[in-house]
Amino acid sequence: MGIVFDLQRSALQDGPGIRTTVFLKGCPMRCRWCHNPESWELEPQSAVSGDPPRTWGREWSVEEVMAVVRKDRRFHQVSGGGMTLSGGEPTRQADFCLALLEAARGEGIHTCLDTCGCFPSNLLDRLLRFVDLFLYDLKATGEERHRELTGIPASVPLTNLEAILERGGKVLLRCPMVPGVNDFEEHFSAIAALSRKHPGITGIEILPYHRSGESKWAELGMDAPDLGAREPEEGQKKAWEASLQRLGALRWKIL
Amino acid sequence: MPTLQKTALRPLATELEFTRVYRENRDVHPAIREWRCLEVLLPAFFQAMKPGDLFAGRIRHPLCGFSTQPGGFGYYCHEAAIRNVLESSPADAALREHVEAMLAFWRVENTTAKTRAAYPPWVSQALPVDSLAIVHPAYPLYRLGGTQLDYGRLLALGIPGMKAEVSRNFEGAEGGEAALGEALCGCLDLLADVARRYAGEIRDAGSAMGEVRSLAEALESLPNRPPRTFREAAQLFWLASWAAGSWNYGRLDEVLGPFLARDLDAGLLDEAAATDLLVSLWKLMDATVPCWDARIIVGGKGRENEEAGDRFALLAMEATRRARVIVPQLTLRFHDGQNPALMAKALDVLAEGVTFPMLYNDEVNIPAAAKAMGISEAEAVEYLPFGCGEYMLWKKGFATPSGAINLAKCLEIALNDGRCPISGKVMGPRTGEAASFASFEDLWRAYAAQVEYSVAALTAQEKIEYDTLGREAPCLFTTLLTDDCLSRRKAALRGGVRYLAGTLETYGNTDVADALTAIRAAVFENKTETMESLLTAMGNDWEEAEGLRKHLLALPKYGNDDDVADAMAARVHDHVCGFTRDQAAAVGLAYYLVVVINNSMNVALGKMVGALPDGRKAGDPLANGNNPVAGRDRQGVTAFLNSLVKLRTDHHAGAVQNMKFSKSMFTAHRPKLEALLSGYFAAGGAQAMLTVVNRGDLEAAMRGPEKWGHLMVRVGGFSARFVELPNDVQRHILERTLNE
Ligand code: SF4
Repeated sequence: MGIVFDLQRSALQDGPGIRTTVFLKGCPMRCRWCHNPESWELEPQSAVSGDPPRTWGREWSVEEVMAVVRKDRRFHQVSGGGMTLSGGEPTRQADFCLALLEAARGEGIHTCLDTCGCFPSNLLDRLLRFVDLFLYDLKATGEERHRELTGIPASVPLTNLEAILERGGKVLLRCPMVPGVNDFEEHFSAIAALSRKHPGITGIEILPYHRSGESKWAELGMDAPDLGAREPEEGQKKAWEASLQRLGALRWKIL
Repeated sequence: MPTLQKTALRPLATELEFTRVYRENRDVHPAIREWRCLEVLLPAFFQAMKPGDLFAGRIRHPLCGFSTQPGGFGYYCHEAAIRNVLESSPADAALREHVEAMLAFWRVENTTAKTRAAYPPWVSQALPVDSLAIVHPAYPLYRLGGTQLDYGRLLALGIPGMKAEVSRNFEGAEGGEAALGEALCGCLDLLADVARRYAGEIRDAGSAMGEVRSLAEALESLPNRPPRTFREAAQLFWLASWAAGSWNYGRLDEVLGPFLARDLDAGLLDEAAATDLLVSLWKLMDATVPCWDARIIVGGKGRENEEAGDRFALLAMEATRRARVIVPQLTLRFHDGQNPALMAKALDVLAEGVTFPMLYNDEVNIPAAAKAMGISEAEAVEYLPFGCGEYMLWKKGFATPSGAINLAKCLEIALNDGRCPISGKVMGPRTGEAASFASFEDLWRAYAAQVEYSVAALTAQEKIEYDTLGREAPCLFTTLLTDDCLSRRKAALRGGVRYLAGTLETYGNTDVADALTAIRAAVFENKTETMESLLTAMGNDWEEAEGLRKHLLALPKYGNDDDVADAMAARVHDHVCGFTRDQAAAVGLAYYLVVVINNSMNVALGKMVGALPDGRKAGDPLANGNNPVAGRDRQGVTAFLNSLVKLRTDHHAGAVQNMKFSKSMFTAHRPKLEALLSGYFAAGGAQAMLTVVNRGDLEAAMRGPEKWGHLMVRVGGFSARFVELPNDVQRHILERTLNE
């Protein structure tokens, strides 16, 4: 059993093809631009306001989830899609996460793991066995900067990333890019170096920052962090493009 | 022959002259009478060209005349409109007297009145009203619609050849048959006259423009020989379709494709010029035909001229992209192995925010139509969606949608012992007080009885309507352009057409399903509510019962791939489709089938239905076609598509599915859109009307979020449900959509 707070049929952005994305509660990071603060806590939550108050998360069995995933099989097949586990950080509920991946793999359903890379290395073996493609966040470069922005030092996700790639895992690198917050030369440079070093990185998606609803934070009874960032203009994106090109990054695109 | 300019001088001159001629010929054979009436009508009907027209054939319907559908039903007279003309004309006692006499004459003599007079008592009891503005569960519709005629033979033979064909078939005919043959030849002469007149008007106008001059030449040739060029062929088609009053055009790629291909290959036309011609024809259709007609079908199985047809289809789609008009309703049929360029072009055109072509899956529709219509698959390859989506058989069948039933209203009166809670009137059989229903099945039986009562009456009505019109007139041009009529020497409605059939428009199907799911759960299974308290809350349109309404809204709804809700939708669907199909034999129709279509009637009829047990508010629009109730499909597009394909397709004559996608699905995510469609079609999806989400949709969603829960948009790297985004983000997306 595990706590799922959303299940999106026909997700189009969570990996190749048409996907069924399962959102698991719990996340060890606290990214300052997080769009899913309702995922942070492991336990189900209710809003502090609203009539009736919204709730996030309830217990699901593996079979219950799979029954929904299976309903979209024909769309997975024609589009090259499958199941994506997201969150939060899906590995926070390690047993449930692995059980879902194993079940999907057992039925021949393509699997993606949308991860921030913060998980104990003893999960690696099993993850590599069941995950077809890692959607792997690369949030910032610099040990301290990463800690400041997410609460976790950069080496944690980086070590896992290197291990996955060295052991033949396939990775789609996803880089949220926030003007003035993480879009620095050294970050682009790190992205470029990774892309050249690892053919296992099948693509790099630069996700330009967009403001999310402040209402969700209020509903959760939390203060929205003040990031002080703007959404990037076209010119800004062009500059990113130029940096990536100049630094020799491969297989990237800006979404 | 008189020209339009002259006849327009005196108000109502055409109408009075037409009436005089009709009265003079009242007792001669109906074929001769119709011919003589057409002699008056056609010259007044066809109007002068306007600058920029590349084809001749604008029209004006006289206020009193003869028509299959566009002007009115059979011999018709629009009294209110005529009185308006009279009011605004200079006082003229003699004219007034004539007009009053004319109106009095037509009040009993018009074909609609004669149809109604022919109803047996049980039919008129079940169908007491003809106006869609009056609250009732069922309505007869008066028209001979549903014709998609055979222009191929006319274009192959030309007007003179067609006359010879008539003469050959009617050789040695006597009596009524001879009269029919004579009138058919006569009406071809009238058509030739129209072409000559237009040619003369162009020459008289003395235009030096080359375009128009070659049009005059084309028109001059039509009375004398078969069309030789695309332009001549399209011109003859256009005039003939209006002469017949048939405004859904069938497989034009089959009919016009060979002419087009020949001209292109011979260098008489290049693709740009051909597209210009089509754009001009499209604009004429747009100026003359209402938005729910003017179907043109391209693609599909069973085409003899497939290659030429494909070329026509591609240019037709390009014309649709360029013309940006409401009609024609260009329709692409497709099947495995069809030239993939057609579907690719269709998606390109749709990506630009055009609503056509609509897509029809032959792999599903041909076997389904064969089964539903009781014909072979070889014949069913000629299925054609008409108007709002009713399947007809090209050239050899009529299945006019001659009735409409409001299923939501049927449920409402079933919950009130046959009484309409809004007006208090009894509108159906007394099926018992809802509070006395011991089980859900009791309620179901009451609902089913209400539906069956109306459907049976509408089936009988359809046949009476055909028979009445058939007695009044042979519908000469329709007969001329319908398979088998000439060889059988019979008027289309008197044994000429091979399949005389019917269709019944149903509305509120999904609303009924959701309502029944909710009432079964709340009243009979979970017993959280009594029938009385539910009916009271509905009677008050949920005032002071918002909590109950929320509870009901949260119960399973069709469109979410939910087995319980979808099974109820299938039950409602199978009931009305199956019962309707089984009625045809009783009245002698080839088939009589339900259609679940898409037009504005779901809004109009929704206004006449009070609150429903699924939480719907009084007066809300009913669901559109086979779609979920607006905003209730919230599990994503795959769930929505899975729900759709749970409804059988082989016992009705067409159901319409609307799907909206964001622009990026047609562009950046095109392979995913294609995958969604192929998954849906492979799973049994019959049809899709795809549109791009536009600014208007987003604004509507901001105003009324409850109806737009299904709308997904892209925000950064994520998809989000539009209505759940905060206001400022919504506004931002709105701006972006403008630019896409
Ligand atoms: S890792 Fe993802 S879910 Fe967790 S805090 Fe960061 S953005 Fe939010």
